[in-house]
Amino acid sequence: MLAPHQPEPSRRPLIAVGAATLATAAGLGWLLQRAWRAEDDTSQRAAQALGTGAAILCFSVALDSAIEHYRGSFKDRLMFAGPTMAALGLATTMWIAMRPRDADKPAVRVALGAVGLTGLAGLGFHAYNILKRPGELSALNIFYAAPFGAPAALTLAGIYGLIAGEMLSDREYVRTRLPRHAAGLIAFSLLGTVAEAGILHFRGAFQDPFMYAPVVVPPIAAVAIGAAALSPRAARAAEPLLKATALLGIAGPMFHAYGIHRNMGGWRNWSQMILQGPPLPAPPAFLGISIAGLGLLPLLEEQPE
Amino acid sequence: MSDFQTPYRGYNVLDKWDSPSWNEQTREVVGKRLHDIPKRCFLTREQWSLLEAICERLIPQPDREEPVPIVPWIDDMLHRNHSPGYRYADMPPMRDAWRQGLDAIAAEAHNRHGKTFEELTEQEQDALLTDVQENRVERRYWGELPAGGFFLHHLLKSVVAIYYSHPVAWSEIGFGGPASPRGYVRLGFDERDPWEAKEVEPADA
Repeated sequence: MLAPHQPEPSRRPLIAVGAATLATAAGLGWLLQRAWRAEDDTSQRAAQALGTGAAILCFSVALDSAIEHYRGSFKDRLMFAGPTMAALGLATTMWIAMRPRDADKPAVRVALGAVGLTGLAGLGFHAYNILKRPGELSALNIFYAAPFGAPAALTLAGIYGLIAGEMLSDREYVRTRLPRHAAGLIAFSLLGTVAEAGILHFRGAFQDPFMYAPVVVPPIAAVAIGAAALSPRAARAAEPLLKATALLGIAGPMFHAYGIHRNMGGWRNWSQMILQGPPLPAPPAFLGISIAGLGLLPLLEEQPE
Repeated sequence: MSDFQTPYRGYNVLDKWDSPSWNEQTREVVGKRLHDIPKRCFLTREQWSLLEAICERLIPQPDREEPVPIVPWIDDMLHRNHSPGYRYADMPPMRDAWRQGLDAIAAEAHNRHGKTFEELTEQEQDALLTDVQENRVERRYWGELPAGGFFLHHLLKSVVAIYYSHPVAWSEIGFGGPASPRGYVRLGFDERDPWEAKEVEPADA
C-alpha cells in the first residue's frame, strides 16, 4: 500500500521508450560512421573531424539560439547576433568538414575568429542578463534567465575550426603539443556541456531516468580524453566513451521529442512546447564535441609516451 | 457609463475553440457555460427578479443584446449549496445569508419608497445599494446579517466572478480562457505570446 500522499507511479513506458530511442540512435550512429570518408593523413583527418564537430555545434547553437531568442521576442537587437553568427559558423565549418585542405585559408580564419568572439560577447550579455534581474546570481535566475554557458559553444566551435586550420601547417607543434591541448579543450567542452545539461535536467527534476545519462557518461569521456592528452595509452579507452557520448547526442533530440509528447497537450501543443519543453536542438552539442574528440585520437596515439 | 470600449477590438476568445489552445475538456466546460444555463431551482420568483435588478446595477450590460447570465448561476450555486468551503464568522451559512440578504433589500425598498426594488429609478436603486454596502440599514430587516458584509462577500463577489466566467467577458478583457492545454511562455511584463489577445491602440481604431 502506498501512503496517501505519494503520487501514483508513472505508467509511461519510460524504459521501453528509452531502450528503443538508444537503439535507434545507435543505428543512426552506425550509419554515420559507415558514411564517414576519413582523410588518409592523420592531421587532415583531425582537421576534418574538428570541422565536422564544429559544424554540428554551430547547427545546435543556430537552432537553439534562434528558438530561445524568438521566445525572448528579440527584445534586444543584439539577440539576432547569436543565430546569425552561428549560421555563418555553420557554413564555414561545413566547408572545412568537406574540404579540410581549406581550413587554413585566411577568409575561413577571419570568419571563425568572428564566430568565436561572438560567443565570448554572448557570455558577457548572458551574464548581464542574469545579474540585472532581482536576486542577481540566484538559483532562480541561473535556471530561468539567459543560460550562462550556452554562447560558449559558439566560441568552442570557432576554436575547433581554428585548430583545424593549424593542423594543416608544417609547424612542429602540430605533431606534439597541439593535439594534447586540443584534447584538453575537448575535455573542457564536455564538462561545460555537462554543466549546462545538469542544471537544466535538475530543473526538470530528472523526471525521466534517462535524464541522468548526459550527466553520467560524458564526464567519464571527459576524464578519458583528458587523460589521453597526458598519456597516449588512454586514447584507446577514450574511443568507446566518446562514441557513447556521441550516441547520447543523437538520442537526445529523440528523448526531447518524447518529452514534448509527455508535456501538457503533447505535440498538438507544439507552438508552446517547442519553446517551453525540452530543447530539441541542444543535445547534438555532445555529438559535435565527441566527433571532434574522436578525430584527435589517432594523433594522440602517435604521441611519444 | 456605456462609453467603455474594450482595447481588444476584434478579439473573440471563442476563436480558440478548435485551436491547439483548447482541448476536449476545455471545450466541454466552456460549452456548458455557454449553453447549459440553469433553470430556477432555489430562489423564489420575487428573489430572482430582485437579483436580476440588482445585477443590472452592479454590472450593467446595456450594450449587449444578450447580457451575460448571472442570476441563473447564483441560483444554481445555492441550489447545489456549492459554497466556497468556508463560512464567514459573522454570517449565517451561504444559503441562509442569501435568502436573508435578498429579502432584507426587498424590505428596505418597500420601507423607503413603498415600491419593489425593481420599480425604483436607477438613482434610487443605486442609493439603496450604497446604503446596504455602507451598513445604513434598518436592523429589523437584517437581523444578525451584516448588510455591508453580505453586499461585499456574497453579492458583489459572486456577481463579478460569474460575469468573468463567461467567454464574452473574457474577450472583453483580452483573457484567453483556460490555459488548457496551451499555456503561456512569455511571462514577463509587457510580453505576449502570439496566441494571446492584442490591444488595439486607439489611434489604429
